[in-house]
Amino acid sequence: MDLTPRTATEPGAQPPARKHRWLPILIVVAALLGGGVIVTQFLTSAIDYYCNVDEIGVRSGCDGERRMRVQGVVEQSSIKQADGGTTFVLDFNKKTLKVAYSGDPGGVFQECIPVIAHGRIVNGVFESDRIEVKHSNQYVEKNATRIDEANEEAAACSVLKG
Amino acid sequence: MAKTSGTGTSATRRLGIVVILMLATLALCGLWFSAEDVVQGSTVRIMYIHVPSIWTAYIAFGLAALCSGVYLSGKNRSLAWDRVAGASGEIGVLFVAVSLVTGSMWGRLTWGTYWVWDARLTSTAFLFITYVGYLAVRQLGGTHRQRARRSSVLALLAILEIPLVHFSVTLWRSLHQEASVANPNAKVELDGLMLFSLFLGLVAFTMLFVWLVLHRQRAMMLEDAFSDRGLDVAITARRNEAGA
Repeated sequence: MDLTPRTATEPGAQPPARKHRWLPILIVVAALLGGGVIVTQFLTSAIDYYCNVDEIGVRSGCDGERRMRVQGVVEQSSIKQADGGTTFVLDFNKKTLKVAYSGDPGGVFQECIPVIAHGRIVNGVFESDRIEVKHSNQYVEKNATRIDEANEEAAACSVLKG
Repeated sequence: MAKTSGTGTSATRRLGIVVILMLATLALCGLWFSAEDVVQGSTVRIMYIHVPSIWTAYIAFGLAALCSGVYLSGKNRSLAWDRVAGASGEIGVLFVAVSLVTGSMWGRLTWGTYWVWDARLTSTAFLFITYVGYLAVRQLGGTHRQRARRSSVLALLAILEIPLVHFSVTLWRSLHQEASVANPNAKVELDGLMLFSLFLGLVAFTMLFVWLVLHRQRAMMLEDAFSDRGLDVAITARRNEAGA
């Protein structure tokens, strides 16, 4: 029996609806290309996302005046804002780094919070053009510990400095 | 056999009502009863959707892999396993997308940026694109059994990404924080009603997933039956022509 597709249709009959197989093929190709880009980003950026302040000049990839990402805790009472810029001190494992950021950091930027600054060291100052606030995995209700709040905040920096 | 209308049954309708009630309770707890976070303020409320979404995606992809494994190892190789795997894959992709979008919103408000190429975000993006590819591979054509075979193999490979995504924050340095509940220290880092709201979100989203899978796999069964019927009709027509 011949089951090959018909080419001629009967008078008045609707032509059979054809499924477009090119679309899934296109999506598979796009997924492969996208996957390649993501893997490249993973190998170049994600694996070693930042250097800690105490690793500058010590650890491979955290040396010299190259562009890098530095992680540390914003030192208490170190934030100063002037001429549209912000300066503060990053602290980690008893090592400090002065940061000059060209703008007002976004997110929940504040003292005693860990941040990652993007930039490069110029004359001993880390000139940053991007700040990311690194939130911890602790979630504390605003009104739960009001009595001890002041003491906890005072102790927060020493805990976060690692 | 119970009388059905569309892809629903009385059981799925009851489940649907429970899901709606649970989601409404979640909205009340997440938006109203639970307190703001000391650092994040109201931004913390995004967590009640973000975390359950990725949790549900993990379950969906896990179920897709399980059903694919059963299909490949089974003697009768029922296509029902493949359809549940496909339905789970589709819904999993949807939930990963929700997780990526809500996470991006949270990131903008907390980190100060929508996206960074850190280990968690990059591996999650890879997970998303892998399962988009899985869904595309399911549509490549051929018979139902060919579709089931190739997509089952892919689902079993893709599930290996889940541990990579989950443990990315402990394996590598990441901007994304470590898990607050299922962390290596086994210490819960959430206060009272925040934890309850999150737990409620996990249960509600899991039940929503079950409801969606039940409907979607039935819709897939109807699609398969429709295409099979079209082939049967064509063969019968040719037989009649040959006999005439």
